[in-house]
Amino acid sequence: MVLRGRHLRLVLVFAFAGWCLGSASLAAQSPAVTPTLDDLLSGTTLNDVWLHINARDWADLQANYRENTYYPADFEWQGVRVRNAGVRTRGRISRNDRKPSLRVDFNRYVTGQQFLGVKAIVLNSLWMDPSMLRDRLSMLLFRRMGIPAPREGHVRLFIGANREYAGVYSVVEEVNPAFLQANFNQNDGYLYEYHIQGAYGFEDPGPDLDWYRPRFDAQTHENGSTVELYAPVQSLVETVNAASPSDLRGALADVLDIDTFITQIAIQNFVAQQDGLVGQFGMNNFYLYRFEAQSLSQIIPWDQDGSFRMIDMPPWQNMDTNVLAAKIWADPTYRDLYLRKLVEVATLAGPWLEDEVVREYAQLREAVSVDPLAPYPFEQFESEVAFIQQFARDRAAIIRSYVEQVSPSVLGDGFAGGRKARR
Amino acid sequence: MRPMRHVVCIGLIVLGTSAPAFAQADGASPRPVVTFDGRPTVRIGDIGHVDFRVKTQADWRDFPAEPTADPNDAFDLHRARVGVGGTLLTRVEFQVERDLRDAARPWRDVFVDVRTVRRVGVQAGHFKIPFGLDQLTSVMDLDFMYRSLAGAYLTPGRDVGLMVHGRSFGDRLRYQAGAFERGGDNLRASERTDTGTAPTVAGRVVVKPWAGPETRSPLRSLALGVAFTDGRLPDGPNSLRGKTAFGDPIFEALYVGGRRVRVGAEVQWRVGPASLQGEFIRAVDQRRGQGIENEDLPDAVARGWYVGGTWVVTGERKKDTVKPARPLSLRGYGAVELVARAERMALGTDGLAASYAGPRDAAIPLRADTAWAGGVNWYLNDFARVQVNVVRERREAGVGLDRGVTWSRLLRLQFGF
Repeated sequence: MVLRGRHLRLVLVFAFAGWCLGSASLAAQSPAVTPTLDDLLSGTTLNDVWLHINARDWADLQANYRENTYYPADFEWQGVRVRNAGVRTRGRISRNDRKPSLRVDFNRYVTGQQFLGVKAIVLNSLWMDPSMLRDRLSMLLFRRMGIPAPREGHVRLFIGANREYAGVYSVVEEVNPAFLQANFNQNDGYLYEYHIQGAYGFEDPGPDLDWYRPRFDAQTHENGSTVELYAPVQSLVETVNAASPSDLRGALADVLDIDTFITQIAIQNFVAQQDGLVGQFGMNNFYLYRFEAQSLSQIIPWDQDGSFRMIDMPPWQNMDTNVLAAKIWADPTYRDLYLRKLVEVATLAGPWLEDEVVREYAQLREAVSVDPLAPYPFEQFESEVAFIQQFARDRAAIIRSYVEQVSPSVLGDGFAGGRKARR
Repeated sequence: MRPMRHVVCIGLIVLGTSAPAFAQADGASPRPVVTFDGRPTVRIGDIGHVDFRVKTQADWRDFPAEPTADPNDAFDLHRARVGVGGTLLTRVEFQVERDLRDAARPWRDVFVDVRTVRRVGVQAGHFKIPFGLDQLTSVMDLDFMYRSLAGAYLTPGRDVGLMVHGRSFGDRLRYQAGAFERGGDNLRASERTDTGTAPTVAGRVVVKPWAGPETRSPLRSLALGVAFTDGRLPDGPNSLRGKTAFGDPIFEALYVGGRRVRVGAEVQWRVGPASLQGEFIRAVDQRRGQGIENEDLPDAVARGWYVGGTWVVTGERKKDTVKPARPLSLRGYGAVELVARAERMALGTDGLAASYAGPRDAAIPLRADTAWAGGVNWYLNDFARVQVNVVRERREAGVGLDRGVTWSRLLRLQFGF
C-alpha cells in the first residue's frame, strides 16, 4: 500500500507531534541542573531554605540565644539536603530570642562536610533593619566598585519537622578561607574579625600586643603566638600614625593599599553608613586580611545594616574620628582623590540603585507581609523601603552638591553627567 | 547546695527512727579516750567513737599526649581527702568525707547508716548508688591505679538517697536496694546540672553459694552478683561519658531522652593470696524523640567488661586490702602483689565503622577502647603503698583520636588511714 495525499500528510503530522511530545518528555526526565551557591546568593529569586531541627533544640536555641551553643540540624535548599550541620545563634547587639540570626556550620559534626563548596553560611534575621535591604544593597555596591564583599541573597526560612515559616532572612556568605580563595586567589594569610571594644579609629594604643587580641579576633592561624598574630597589626597601626598626610601612598605601601581604603570609605559615606570605618562609634563591622607572606593588609566589609540612614549626610562626617581618614581629608591631594571616588560611586549607583531597591521590594513584599517573627510592623517595612528608594534617587545629586562646595574641580564631566542624570 | 540540704533532712529522719537506741544509752557522761588502732579514734564510753581518716595519692604519669594538649607526663596530687566516720550507740554508723582537691564536688560520702532489726540497715545521705563492684570499691583498696573503664564510666556514682541493705542466710546473700534523688554524679556536666533529672532506683544482690562458717571449700569466698539501675533521663546531649584510661574522651555526647537502664553482673573470688574479679555492665540510654525531625532514634547502648587477677607473692592473704606480715617499719620488706587486668568498653553498633555524623543521627558508629594493665603493688605497711602500672591501650575509634596502640607507665604513692 502506498500513502499519498491526505493520508501522507496525516502521517507526517502525527509523526511530528509524536517527536515533539517525545522530546518534551525526555527533557522532563533529564536530570535537573544542580543548583550552585551563586543561585542562592545572587538574589535573583527569593529562595526557600528549610532548617530541619529538633523542636526542643529550636526552643533551647531561642531561650539561650546569648550562648554560642551548637545544635544539630539538616539544611535543605532546592532538594540539596546537608545532614547533621551545626547551628547556633550569632550577632552582637542584634541577638534576640524572637528571630535569632544563625550561623550554620556544615562541618561542625561531620569532618570536611560542605554545602556547595562552603563550610558555613550565615542566616541573618535582619533584626536591626526594618527595610531588610540595607546590608545587601551596600554589599552589592562594594562588589560593583570592585571591592571584595560577601554575597548575600534573601530567603524564606522554614523551621522544623512541620516546616513552619520563620520569616525572611538573608543568607550571607561567610568571610572565611573559601571567601578569601574566591576573591584573592589565596587563603593562607591572616584573617581577623574586628570586635568593637569602644571608640577606636586607628590610634596607636602603645606597645602592648595583648591590646589587639580582643579587638582583632584571629579567624585563621588561631593558634599562632601573640607576636606572630599581632605584631604585624601593630606595625600597620604604627605606620598609619607615623605616615605623613602628603605621602600616604608611599608610607603605607607595605601595609595598606590607600586607594582601596579610600574607595571603601567613599562607598560607606555614599550610603551614609553610620557604623562602618568612619562611623559614629569608631571603626566597626569589618574583617582585616593580611596577605600570605606579606605585611600588606586589606579591609573586608561586614554587616552594613547601619547604612542608608541619613540621606543628606555630608561626606566629611566623622572623617576626623579615624586617624587615616583624617589624614586623607587633611591633605588636598588625597581629599580630592576621596571626593573623586565618591563621585565615581555616585555615578555607578546612578539609576541602578533605585532599580535594585524596587526589584528587591517586589521580591520580598509578600514574604515580609506574612513574616510571623518580624520585629517591625509591615507598614514600617514599606515606609523604610520608600525612604531607601528616595535615598537611591537623590543621594548622588546630594553628594555632588557637597563635593561642589568643597572642591568644584573634582566634578568636571562627572558633575555634568550628574546634572544630566537628574534631568 | 540543695542535695546537701536533702542529706541533712534524710539523715535527721533516719536518726529519728533510731531514737530507741539512744534511749538505751547510759545516763552517765564518760570521758573521751583517744586511741590509735589503724587510725586516730576518739572513744566516748558506750556512746560511740569517731575515727579520723585521710586518703592521699600522688601519681607520676607518663602517657602519650594528644597533639593539641600540654604534655601529659606529669606529677599529680591525685587525691587528698579527709573525713570522719564512726559509730553511735552501736546501731548508728556515720561517715563524712571531703575532697580537698575537687572544688566543684567536694563532698563525697555524707551519710548515716542505722542498723534496725534482723541485720537490716537503712542508709541515708549522699553515697554511692549500689551498682558496680569496681565502682563500689574504695579508692584506697583498688588493685590498680585506675578503675576499670566500665566501672569508672558506666556506673552512676554517688547521689542523695535512701537505701535498705542487709545480709541473710548466714552471709550467703547480701542485698542493697535504694531510691536516689537523681541519676548519680558520674555523668556529663550537662546532665548533672539539668533541672529535669528524675529519681533513680537501684538494686544489687550478691550471693556466696558456698559461704558459711563451717565451709572449708576453696569456693567459699566465691561471690556472684547482679545489679541494676533504672531512671529517667533529662532530654539533652546527656549520653554516658566514655574516656580512655587516662581521661581522653572517646564517646561523643549524644542526645538522649527517656529511660536509662543499667544491668551488671559481677564475680569475685579470693583464695589465699590470690584473687580473681570480673564484671560486665550494659547501659542503655533511650533516645525518644531525639531525631532531627523529633522522631525516636535507636537506643545508645554502652557496654564494658573486665577480668583481673591478683597474687600476693609474699603470701599474705588477699582481702579488700593486704596487710603485710612484715611491714617495712618493723624492718621487714612489706608485701608484694602482682596484678593484671584485661578490659574493654564500647558504645555504638559493632561493625558500624562509619564516621560520626552528629549527636542526633540514628547511626552510632562504634567507639571502643581495649586496655591491658599489669603492675606491682608494694604494701610498705598498713598505711602506705607504692603502685606501679603499665597500661597498653588500643583505641578502636574515638573523638579526635587516631586508632592505634598506646603505652602508659604510672607510679603512685599512697598514704592513708
